[in-house]
Amino acid sequence: MRRTSIAFLAFALASCGEQANPRIEISDAWARETGAGQNTGAAYATIENTGGADDELLAVTTDRATMPMLHSSESVNGVSRMRMLQSLSLPADGTVELRPGGIHIMMEGLKSPLKAGETFEVTFRFKQSGELVVPVKVEAAGAR
Amino acid sequence: MLVKLRFILWALVGVAALAGIWIALKPPAELPSTAEMPLDTIGGPFTLTGSDGQSFNSAGLNGKGTAIFFGFTHCPDVCPTTLARLSKLRKQAGGDDAFNIVFVSVDPERDTPADVGRYAELFNTPVIGLTGSVADIERVKKQFGVYSAKAPLPNGDYSVDHTSTVFLMDRNGKFVATLAPEEGEQVALEKLKRIAA
Ligand SMILES: [Cu+2]
Repeated sequence: MRRTSIAFLAFALASCGEQANPRIEISDAWARETGAGQNTGAAYATIENTGGADDELLAVTTDRATMPMLHSSESVNGVSRMRMLQSLSLPADGTVELRPGGIHIMMEGLKSPLKAGETFEVTFRFKQSGELVVPVKVEAAGAR
Repeated sequence: MLVKLRFILWALVGVAALAGIWIALKPPAELPSTAEMPLDTIGGPFTLTGSDGQSFNSAGLNGKGTAIFFGFTHCPDVCPTTLARLSKLRKQAGGDDAFNIVFVSVDPERDTPADVGRYAELFNTPVIGLTGSVADIERVKKQFGVYSAKAPLPNGDYSVDHTSTVFLMDRNGKFVATLAPEEGEQVALEKLKRIAA
C-alpha cells in the first residue's frame, strides 16, 4: 500500500517535471596520525544525503596517497579483514558513517606520514552530485 | 449434543494449557559452553624481538597484567583503533601503569624491530611492540590460536587478514579472558579491570 503510494507520488512528481535530487553533506572528516615508514593511512567522515533521491560515492582522490580507495573492515569469526568497495550507496534521506573498524578511506601508498594537527584535502566523487573537496583533519593516533 | 461439544472444547483448552506449561518448564536446549574450550592452554612463555632489536622474553611482562594484540604496522584501521581503545581504557582502568599493552606483528617479513617500535610509540602511552623471525611469530601465533593470512591489494602490495581478538593475561602470564572489538566499552572496561594492578 505504502509502496504503491510512494510509486504514485514519484510518478506524479516526475510528470510535473519536478525532479528530486540528492543533497550531499560531509562532516567530521578526520584521519588518524601515522608513523614514519607506514605506507597506509585511514580517513573517516560522516556522509549525509539530505535530498530526496539516492546517490552513490564512486571514488575518492587525494594527492597524499598514490592509491586511495574505499575499504570496509569486517570481522568474521574473530578474524578482521579489509575489503575494497567499488562504490558506496547513499540512500535518500540517509546517513552513512565512515568510522574506525568499519568503512574507511584507505590511503594506500601514503606519500608522507600524516601528522597530528595538519589538514589535507580529499575529493569525493558522487554519481549524481559531482565532486566535493573536503578538508580532512589529522588527529593524534590515540585520540579516538 | 451442545453439552458434548462444550466438553470437547474445554478438553482442547486443557490440552493447550498443559502443552504451554510443558513448553515453559522444559529445560532449554543445551548451549555451547565456553568452559569446554581449552582456554587454559592459551599463552605460555615466549621469546620474540623487541623494538631495540634485542630478544624479548615474556617473563619480562610478569608482575603486571597484559593485553596482547596481534596486528601489523601497515594496518591503518583495525590495529591502531584497537591500540587507541586499549590505551584509553587503560587510563580509565587505573592509569598508564595498570597493565602492559603488547603489540605482536603477524607480518614479520615487513615489520622490523624499528617499525614496531615507531608504531607502538604513536599512542603516547607505553606500548610494547614485538616482532621476530617468521618461525618465532608462527610459534607464538600457535600458542595464542591466532590466525593470519596475506591478502593482496590491487597495487601489488598486501594487507593481512588477522585475528582481532585481544588476549588478557594476569600478572603471572596466565590467560584470563579475550576481548573482541565488538564488545561495548563498559564490558571491555570491566574485563580490563580484572587484569589491572
Ligand atoms: Cu583499509
